[in-house]
Amino acid sequence: MKEKRIIVQDLRGQICPACLLITLRNLNEQQAGIKGGQAEFHILTDNRHSTTTIPNAVINMGYAVDVRKEHGHYRIVIAQITGGHTPQSQLDGRPA
Amino acid sequence: MLSDPYLLIVVTSAVLGLALGFIMHRADFCVTAMFRDYFLFRDATLLRALLLLMACSMLLFELGRQIGLIRIYPFPLLGAPSLASVLGGALFGVGMVLAGGCVFGTLYKLGSGSLLSAVAFLGMLGGSALYAEFHPAWAAFGKATALPTTGITLPQTLGLNPALLIVPALALASVFIWKWYRADQFTRPAVVDGFIQPGKAALLLSVLGLVSYILIGMPLGITTSYAKLGGILEGLVAPAHVAQLAYFQALPLNYTPPLADTAIQGGPGPALDAIAAIQYPLIVGIVLGAAISALRLGEFRIYYKLPAVQYASALAGGVLVGLAARMTPGCNIWHLWGGIPILANQSLLFLLGLVPGAWLGSRVLARFVIR
Repeated sequence: MKEKRIIVQDLRGQICPACLLITLRNLNEQQAGIKGGQAEFHILTDNRHSTTTIPNAVINMGYAVDVRKEHGHYRIVIAQITGGHTPQSQLDGRPA
Repeated sequence: MLSDPYLLIVVTSAVLGLALGFIMHRADFCVTAMFRDYFLFRDATLLRALLLLMACSMLLFELGRQIGLIRIYPFPLLGAPSLASVLGGALFGVGMVLAGGCVFGTLYKLGSGSLLSAVAFLGMLGGSALYAEFHPAWAAFGKATALPTTGITLPQTLGLNPALLIVPALALASVFIWKWYRADQFTRPAVVDGFIQPGKAALLLSVLGLVSYILIGMPLGITTSYAKLGGILEGLVAPAHVAQLAYFQALPLNYTPPLADTAIQGGPGPALDAIAAIQYPLIVGIVLGAAISALRLGEFRIYYKLPAVQYASALAGGVLVGLAARMTPGCNIWHLWGGIPILANQSLLFLLGLVPGAWLGSRVLARFVIR
């Protein structure tokens, strides 16, 4: 089985709303790979605001999203919606 | 009566600053984002919180005035409405979006380790000092374009009891607020640690504004001291030049604070005066409050490998904000959280300029800065 490609965009420290704008632009380019399950898009951000604006936007675009807290920043994972996966429920809980 | 009016002012400002910085960081209560996100993404969640804050402040200030807790009405430093306030508002709108935050927003982001906000802060000091170079000409422009009205607030201009305008305005706002509350539109998914919902933050911040008005005699504001700090820094390299600038000699603040029996004065000059007593502790408090919040969450980090264009944008935006805050005069927090709740004419004109300015700034940011 072919390994999933992880595209990481490190936007820590950048001006607002770089995270959302750059995410939206990248998703347009990588749409086929992510929705087809061959790729995942990861955003590293220290911007608390982006952890709600990005999930709100990409869920409406038909992606699954998960927000995880790492060392001093957040990792937002955008991926294909899989069976039994309810994206909104991830937003209602706390980060893993 | 207090023998030392400065003690209450300094302590109140410091405590308010700490609380402001903490709440604004936890809620990421960025007034710039409120306008910018609406123009770029049609996301009005934060804008609704801003309207809630303004309506709540309007209610609290009017109640405070009616029961005698607020005795200084309108508060000091508000001037006559003129075209200068509209143009200042527009420039402020462009600048705050390019800087990545307004004057208060920059401080709480700076407290959480944002290097771009530090650059924007320095730009604001520079812009404030730059204003002193053309203050006499701009003041003359403001006088020449002043509206042919009297009174600082709309009720004064119309010769009405403030309640006659405040009550209908609040009734109208209540209809929208109730609708948004029922639709759960003041909340966002609580994804981050220690999150304070925007609606709750708006209510808390309006209470802090009331405390400031009651104990200090005016709502929250900090930008005159940016001119002070900018002038002090400029004075290190060109002391003779700074000393001869008329702007740094002015003392626009001259009032008797609540619970005091003597008047105190202050202005943009370098002296440790009433402006310094009110605003320096607030500035330091906001930065510290945000730093405490970020450190407790383990989110205080400094990132410096950032695109050069973003450094340039933060600096240019900061300079514009600093200039605009002197040209108006006053910043968005002063006018939106303080002036509009009492229907100050100058604040209404500032908002008239701020909205198209923020729209233009959003377009420039999305087109040229974020790539």
